[in-house]
Amino acid sequence: MLVKTLMRMNITYYHRLLIRSISSKPAWDILTGICIERLPVVTPPLTEMQKKYKEFLLTVEFEKSMKSNHEIQHENDKKQAELFKAESQDVDIDAVNKVTAQDFEDAANEEYSKFKFGNLETDADKKGDKTSTERCLQRHLVLVTQRKLGNDSKTLLPQGHWQEGETLRQTAERIVKEQIGSELQIKFISNAPCGFYKYKYPSEMNGKVGAKIFFYYANYKSGNPTKSKVNWLTRKELDEMLPQKYSNAVKEFLIEETY
Amino acid sequence: MSILRQFSRLSICPTVKFQLNRNISTTSALTFKITEQLWAEPMKKKKKIDPAIVKAREERRRKKIEKQIRRLEKNARQLKPIDELEVPLHLMDSLKKYKRPPVQLSVEEIEARELLQKEWARYKRDEYMNNIAQVDRIMAAQKRALDRLYEESEDLYNEAIMPDLQLLPYTISGPVATPPIKDYESPDGEYIDVSKKWDN
Repeated sequence: MLVKTLMRMNITYYHRLLIRSISSKPAWDILTGICIERLPVVTPPLTEMQKKYKEFLLTVEFEKSMKSNHEIQHENDKKQAELFKAESQDVDIDAVNKVTAQDFEDAANEEYSKFKFGNLETDADKKGDKTSTERCLQRHLVLVTQRKLGNDSKTLLPQGHWQEGETLRQTAERIVKEQIGSELQIKFISNAPCGFYKYKYPSEMNGKVGAKIFFYYANYKSGNPTKSKVNWLTRKELDEMLPQKYSNAVKEFLIEETY
Repeated sequence: MSILRQFSRLSICPTVKFQLNRNISTTSALTFKITEQLWAEPMKKKKKIDPAIVKAREERRRKKIEKQIRRLEKNARQLKPIDELEVPLHLMDSLKKYKRPPVQLSVEEIEARELLQKEWARYKRDEYMNNIAQVDRIMAAQKRALDRLYEESEDLYNEAIMPDLQLLPYTISGPVATPPIKDYESPDGEYIDVSKKWDN
């Protein structure tokens, strides 16, 4: 009787050991996510402090400066005009008739007002078109796609599974080609991932407990995505559209916008 | 005695009685005398020089002078090193007319300016600390990602920390003040960079 219980205890003990040795480490899926960022094209607007200081610097520069030839010409013209008005002497009619400094300045100002600078608010801005890179020229834009996870589709950075025999960087490049098209010109900046996010599957899939996503950062150079519909989101929109914890993980490695 | 005689020339009335000195001698007198110039030549006849040779001489003289002018001009065309440059004299002479009247600032204005400087210093320091904090944050995120990768698989980690040799030289052009105009034709035309390059 005692021997039987002992044997049973041994069997259950060894059984537990066996099970523990097989499923010792939980297995995770390895994915790479790619953060493609279009850097701002136009400088952001000046803050109040910067505007005040800029004005201050300009006035100090003016005070310390010397007169330019244009200014001296202007003063001379004024004197000539006064003399001419007073008609005390008929001074140098030639000197009065030629192009005055004021005329030159007015002509220059006119030319400047006629010149059309590029519009900060592009067509894409006006339409609210999120799929073009021409929107929000002063902000950073990040590329996001729609993905189906389980039942619902979420907005995420493009991601895909890592395959045996390739480095994570090669995985990243492959995923971009597959999911977005090879027309998009981007430049990865390192072999190392810049961010990390892990999440557990609601139920075990293929023996994997969850997925670990390693983010790779790339700079957008030119081109358009062809294979799927993508959106370019600003920091605020990223905050709103991405799922909460995911968004936190992504914001860790992105530059914060100050305005 | 001689001094007196010299001064006597100035006076009207004779102070001294003149004595006639008539030298009478019985033998031949030895009077020394210098003769006029005897060793001059009459003018030589001017030989007619070949006009071609005359022209050649003039040409040579002209060329010499032109060469010297050219040498001086070449010196002027060469740019002086910046250390040797001086303020042109006509500007130095007319310095007065270019000066502005000195600015009189009220005490409040000066104080306001100083306070603005201090505010700016504070603002810039905050900006700098923010920048450093951001850089630290991004670096920490990368370090964490690499740690997790190491936990996951060593091979992938080793491949990830290898340097990317195709990255450098990397150029990004920064943001501009106004948005670029599509299909803009520069009125000054395109510029071609002709600066000398000294690459290996």
